[in-house]
Amino acid sequence: MLDLESLTPREALGRALSDLGDLRKDVVVLVADTGEATRARLFAERHPDRFFNVGIAEQSLVGIAAGLALASFMPYALTFAAFMTRAWEQARNSVDRLGLPVRLVGTHAGFADAYDGPSHQALEDIALFRVLPSFTVLAPADSCEVYRAATASAAVKGPVYIRVGRDFHIPTTCGLYDRFEVGRAYVVAEGRDVAIFTTGITLPFAVEAAQLLKDRGISAAVVHFPTVKPLDYATVEKYAEATGAVLTVEEHMVHGGFGSAVAEYLAQTRPTKMAIMGLKSYGRTAKSPQELYQLFGLTPENIAARAEELVKLR
Amino acid sequence: MMAGYDPGIHLGSSLSVLEIVAALYGTGRLKFNVANGAHNRNYFVLSKGHAIHAVYALAAAMGYLTVDELRETGSVGSRLQNHPEVDTPFVDVPNSGSLGQGISLAVGLALGLRLRGEPGRVYLVTGDGELDEGQSWESFAVAAHYGLNNLVTIVDLNNVQLDGHSEEVLRKGDLAGRFKSLGFEVFEVDGHDVAAIISALEKAENSAKPAVIMAKTVRGRGVPSIEDTAKQRLSRDEALRYVNNIC
Repeated sequence: MLDLESLTPREALGRALSDLGDLRKDVVVLVADTGEATRARLFAERHPDRFFNVGIAEQSLVGIAAGLALASFMPYALTFAAFMTRAWEQARNSVDRLGLPVRLVGTHAGFADAYDGPSHQALEDIALFRVLPSFTVLAPADSCEVYRAATASAAVKGPVYIRVGRDFHIPTTCGLYDRFEVGRAYVVAEGRDVAIFTTGITLPFAVEAAQLLKDRGISAAVVHFPTVKPLDYATVEKYAEATGAVLTVEEHMVHGGFGSAVAEYLAQTRPTKMAIMGLKSYGRTAKSPQELYQLFGLTPENIAARAEELVKLR
Repeated sequence: MMAGYDPGIHLGSSLSVLEIVAALYGTGRLKFNVANGAHNRNYFVLSKGHAIHAVYALAAAMGYLTVDELRETGSVGSRLQNHPEVDTPFVDVPNSGSLGQGISLAVGLALGLRLRGEPGRVYLVTGDGELDEGQSWESFAVAAHYGLNNLVTIVDLNNVQLDGHSEEVLRKGDLAGRFKSLGFEVFEVDGHDVAAIISALEKAENSAKPAVIMAKTVRGRGVPSIEDTAKQRLSRDEALRYVNNIC
């Protein structure tokens, strides 16, 4: 049995695509000189005839993927998330408007590529793909979830954006649920006083924050949303109602991302005290993503502190 | 006539590609009565989608559209939109309003047909102004790299773009040379001579390499007030005078 926890998120991605290629002959993989960096190499080794490298050219990557979809293939196009957004207009005009089953996979998302600095750190990708009407947006938390989300994405009818990290992850979801369902949120901890909603790699930080809050007599629910769009509205509403205070946490700019999606919904249905945690500026070059989470305040301690403030405001 | 009913159409560009489109459809290489998505056939990508009215005009001339429908072009309720859209008839790639993107779509389509082992070809019509887009060359390099000889590209070389003559807006250099250096076989032809275009198509189809036909054209050909200019529009009266002279 495949030990997903021991893989890095990008290795899990490469394995998922490689396995998907065994199951489905219509799956093709394209990279923009990023076969090694995204671990698409794992697919290329097993399915060389269905692997295409288009060179360092993201606009062409997305456009050619769309052309392959017109020829009835299911293309997965992989490159750094920071550079996938360069082809946003291609994603809009060549993919989304046509509703094609193109899967864009942005790796090294968030602070995952601490080493290369802010030019390589995608903090806007959720916002940019979420705004496109046909796109489904997935942001898995760890290697298990990357594998499951990538596999589940094959069943989605329209286009999908999958946000993946690099090597850093804290295994959290392997035993959390049996089956990954696109559009479904997963409850990690029940709580009465505040609900912490996470997407992507921030899930374990929230789990730890809930422990800290428990020690302070605050009961915090933790709900994980690996699908940012379509958002699991029923779960958002249920926990907003049960707790009256919602804190969202994401490794993304606070504007336009996951927190905004939750706020847009709650503002129109059940106005709830909310706080949105994420980034408000670009990152820095660092020796590890963890160093950046510390520097920019995406830590269990800070999440607990914001949750505590929110509970007082209720 | 369409220009008379809708000032929004790109008349100059449509007139510049008219004979190219006629050569493709008139010889049966492309067919009007093929459902999108059908296999074992040829595909058409009009990357300079604003010239779609050349296709509508030809479809009407060949009996696939009525004159009544042509009058509705560009209307909200009409399927004859001013750039190819998802519900536009006769187009395989229902998106080519954004320049450069049709080229990548055509290359992806050609790659897909080859991977499927389908015999069909992809006929791609692009403009010289469109080749300013870096994306164009990104994807032409892929076509050359993967040796896609099922892709036949026709460049509508009318030397005019939005802001004026192409060389004045942005230097193009040796376009044929750019294609040759990538590994394309290049043919040059008078883009208003249907017989010459057909002969070039035959050579391009027999090429072992991806082929490009540089078709020298005149934008707005046949309408002296806009010929070889960036103008796309006629007054309603002037446009309808042409209709009365023909019909």
